[in-house]
Amino acid sequence: MRKLLRSVSMGLVVLAAALPAFANEKAEPNPALSQYWDPIKQLMFGDRVINPDARDIIRVYLNVRADDASTVPVVVKAQIDQTEKEYIKSIYVIVERNPSPAAGVFHFTPESGRAQVETRLRFEDYSFVRAVAEMNDGRLYMAQRWVKAAGGCSAPNGKKLSEALLGKMKLRFDDDTITYHKPNLVQLMIRHPNESPLAADFEAGHVPQFVRSVKVTYDGKPVMDAEVDFSLSDNPNFRFFFTPEERGELKIEVEDTHDRKFSHSVNISEGVPLPGG
Amino acid sequence: MRLCIGFPITILATPNAIMTVALFAIAAATSALAGEPPPPANFDVREIAPGNYVHYGSFDERSPDNLGDNANIGFIVGDKCVLAVDAGGSLPVGRALRQAIRRITPLPVCYVVLTHVHPDHFFGAAAFLDDHAQFLAHENYPAQLAARSRSYLNSLQRDLGPAAAGSEIVRPTLLVAGRMELDLGGRTVVVQAWPPAHTDDDLTVFDTPTRTLWVSDLLFVGHTPVIDGTIIGFLAVMKDLRVVAADHYVPGHGRSDLPWPEPLDAQQRYFTVILDETRAAIRGRKTIQQATDEVGLSEAGNWAAFDQFHRRNVTTAYAELEWE
Repeated sequence: MRKLLRSVSMGLVVLAAALPAFANEKAEPNPALSQYWDPIKQLMFGDRVINPDARDIIRVYLNVRADDASTVPVVVKAQIDQTEKEYIKSIYVIVERNPSPAAGVFHFTPESGRAQVETRLRFEDYSFVRAVAEMNDGRLYMAQRWVKAAGGCSAPNGKKLSEALLGKMKLRFDDDTITYHKPNLVQLMIRHPNESPLAADFEAGHVPQFVRSVKVTYDGKPVMDAEVDFSLSDNPNFRFFFTPEERGELKIEVEDTHDRKFSHSVNISEGVPLPGG
Repeated sequence: MRLCIGFPITILATPNAIMTVALFAIAAATSALAGEPPPPANFDVREIAPGNYVHYGSFDERSPDNLGDNANIGFIVGDKCVLAVDAGGSLPVGRALRQAIRRITPLPVCYVVLTHVHPDHFFGAAAFLDDHAQFLAHENYPAQLAARSRSYLNSLQRDLGPAAAGSEIVRPTLLVAGRMELDLGGRTVVVQAWPPAHTDDDLTVFDTPTRTLWVSDLLFVGHTPVIDGTIIGFLAVMKDLRVVAADHYVPGHGRSDLPWPEPLDAQQRYFTVILDETRAAIRGRKTIQQATDEVGLSEAGNWAAFDQFHRRNVTTAYAELEWE
């Protein structure tokens, strides 16, 4: 609970900032003049300088008109290779008008092969989604895209799932087999309602259950390490790269706000058909 | 770096706070600027079966011009009282419906059926608060309403501006699980709760003496059907609907020209195309974005508002079918 309590004051700040949030622009505002970004930037990065020209470091890909506010696919792609000398250490994904703007922080290593993350987000409102890349030397770069979600009957929350499936995971690979020494694309799917605390029907004292952390390792070595939040869609979904050097075990460990731990692993080797289709 | 910078724990202690705040913010913002918005012009109802009156909503996107008059709504008149099927997408539309009822009968409105949790159907409900009507909804409705109301209030404000004034969240007073019979005086009306399909809280209304089925959004005619629940569930419910012996029907969107159950055919074909092509895309390791770019395009010419809703349907279908 300490973690939650610590965030109370910050929660208030963001919530207070979010109330005039009903500004309701239909057109894309100037990202540099956003009133929402400054307090978030201060909380997350303090006075550090963020380079607004990230074209050669990372880019954000998505549809400007999001089709379903509960499920907006977002891809953040590195424009550089991960090398020992220069690599992206972390990518912060921020939906600046969501009640909890920090959707996820994804950590990478030089072995990740390629710093790329693809996930699905909820949008409470039309909003910028921002991606901040933190380099191994501490430099920060930011890219952003404006998203028009939450139109019509589309709503960020409310999809359902059977509790019986909670924590079930599925891995899908982009090819029939993996190849050593090159980045292989893998999709991770997690059955979880990822409840938003903004669903007002919760009883007092009910801590909404959502996924807090996702750790992916290959033979014990980190592949992707993410701290995430309820801005992720229900049944959190990730696509990322990993570069196996030899046969091994790809292992996923997930923790949620109810301190439940879920894990899943597969043994894989080159040339052998992968499980999960 | 702590991630949970915005975790609004204060809301947990007072679950309704956010809705109250949002309502207050919108009311304050709009009532100061303008008074009551005027009712929509040319709000007509048509008696499609004795005692069953329908208002057909517009296919255009919600705007200050149409005031959210986008869904088919209406009412059934008994000897004792009136049942309204939905209330339209804003308070002015709800008021127009109420005025239409008053033009036809002085009987009280005793029931308002909220057929599902979508704003084009429920935002007019406040027009019936003074009638002390029972507001009926599916047993899953309250949880969905709670999860969505903040966002729905916000987008209504964005789309309608000052005309959103007074449109508010009305909570149901009577929940339906399975089947419920209502007596309007001389006519029995059956309200049926369905398993997840269009949403997870769909109701239909069946007027027994005229065999009129108010299908609501379990049937779209001419307007792109919307999947906000489950495509598999939707197809299953349509099978059950097909065998309902109805002489008249009212879709949630579009006209009632073809004989029942023929209009289900086009919707079934559309869903089958999405189902087959989305499954193929998943098998072919296409991403959700690729699927939304490619699936179901052969249907584009067959439906109004295709650009607005089709990709969303594919998104929903993909997220459901990828677990198969």
